[in-house]
Amino acid sequence: MEALTDETAIEVAGLGVRFRRNRRGRRSIKDLFADASRRTRPGEFWALRDVSFRVRPGESIGVVGRNGQGKSTLLKLVAGVLLPDEGSVQVNAGVAPLIELTGGFVGDLTVRENVRLTAGLHGMSKAEVARRYDGIIAFAELEEFQETPYKHLSNGMKVRLAFSVVSQLDEPILLVDEVLAVGDRAFRAKCYRRIDELLAEGRTLFFVSHNERDLRRFCTRGLYIRDHALVLDGPIGEVIDRYNADNPT
Amino acid sequence: MTGHADTGSHTIGAPGTSRRYLHSLWLLSARDLKVRYATSWLGYLWSVLDPLVMSGIYWFVFTVVFHRDSVGEEPYIVFLISGLLAWVWFNAAVTDFTRAFNKDAKLVRSTAIPRSIWVNRIVLSKGLEFLFALPVLVLFAVFAGAEVNWAILLFPLGVLLQAVLLVGLGLLVAPLCVLFTDLERTTRLILRALFYGSPVIYGLADLPGGLTSVMAFNPLAGIFTLYRVGFFPETWDPSAVLLSAAMCLVFLALGALMFRRLERPLLKEL
Repeated sequence: MEALTDETAIEVAGLGVRFRRNRRGRRSIKDLFADASRRTRPGEFWALRDVSFRVRPGESIGVVGRNGQGKSTLLKLVAGVLLPDEGSVQVNAGVAPLIELTGGFVGDLTVRENVRLTAGLHGMSKAEVARRYDGIIAFAELEEFQETPYKHLSNGMKVRLAFSVVSQLDEPILLVDEVLAVGDRAFRAKCYRRIDELLAEGRTLFFVSHNERDLRRFCTRGLYIRDHALVLDGPIGEVIDRYNADNPT
Repeated sequence: MTGHADTGSHTIGAPGTSRRYLHSLWLLSARDLKVRYATSWLGYLWSVLDPLVMSGIYWFVFTVVFHRDSVGEEPYIVFLISGLLAWVWFNAAVTDFTRAFNKDAKLVRSTAIPRSIWVNRIVLSKGLEFLFALPVLVLFAVFAGAEVNWAILLFPLGVLLQAVLLVGLGLLVAPLCVLFTDLERTTRLILRALFYGSPVIYGLADLPGGLTSVMAFNPLAGIFTLYRVGFFPETWDPSAVLLSAAMCLVFLALGALMFRRLERPLLKEL
């Protein structure tokens, strides 16, 4: 019964994931049968290790850290598009991930087809996509480009479309990886209003950014990732202060 | 939980349910078919043309040039097409398996749908193309005067077995091709050899003595028998069919087992 009174949206326990250092390094068939034990094989490194935390529904979490320390990897693990080598990630609700600039769109398909495909893959029914389609396009300001192949859009347009689709998903958890930095100021302001709305609705936000103002604005709690490990989990102000102390300008 | 329970009403099934799985599977297969048939019926012509041209060539070589009289069954063109349509399904699916994840890497990297969908959607879309091409077989059977018997009802069983075989192979081949890049070329080479190593242009009974029982281990042998027995009752070979069904299930089990092992390294590699 305790689980009911003490709800958890995301539970991460002893999380670890390992990558090969040299992507071109040769891989032997033997590797496949080797047990995924805790030992590190030569040429591999832990992109994240021993990370544990718990997120309650409605919390907004900012992930802080220098580049290449495992922030995006953490987001991918929470989104379920990467599987951990150690520990576990348990996500108790649907996730709307905005984790790549591309938002997972396909270059050769038109904007319209991409919206249908992506929204559909996130579980939206055909009728529901049709109902929300105009809203998505209007928010992304892409009315003129509905039949344009996705690859011909500018970077700004791509981000607008990705944010527009993902923020329309009815998932309780929203993951945002520093993609918003690409959009122009007017659109960013619009995105911020939308994120505020989603937070007011009680969504859980998982936010990766280098922008201190954004982090302070949206997040209440911070996770500081350094050297592939979680070094601080606390109020966002404290986490940012610690990060700034570690990385003096 | 209560706060979010109602948000599910706009979606198709919860993540992890079979309804959601089928929804995603159909969405991707339909996209494949749409791309294929985008230019109206010329797209359809393409999926039929390949096996037809091949059938025409083999028919010409074997009946006109070599005056074959002991290989395959009469009418030979029906014998050929019934094997080649299924071979094209097999060949096209396995060829696509080699790029199943790389082709849609962006989508795989950002959408947490069950990874086996990327394999199964190829089996499904190529299988539908196979079914759409069947009217050609009917047409040739009618004009060549092939006699149809009740065993034609075994045809769907052949389709089912081939789908099982392809799913098993796909779960095996698709992730391996991401991890080992050479495998893409190797697979294509194996496919070419397998064409002659399977009873497509000849029948199982045409092989000399001992080879027949060796060939029966090729799961395609039994599957093609199921497709053909409706036209050529004398090709019926129950032991080959049973062995083939067993082999299909072995491949499926092996594929499922390996896929679980390979999924983790595969996602890191994309």
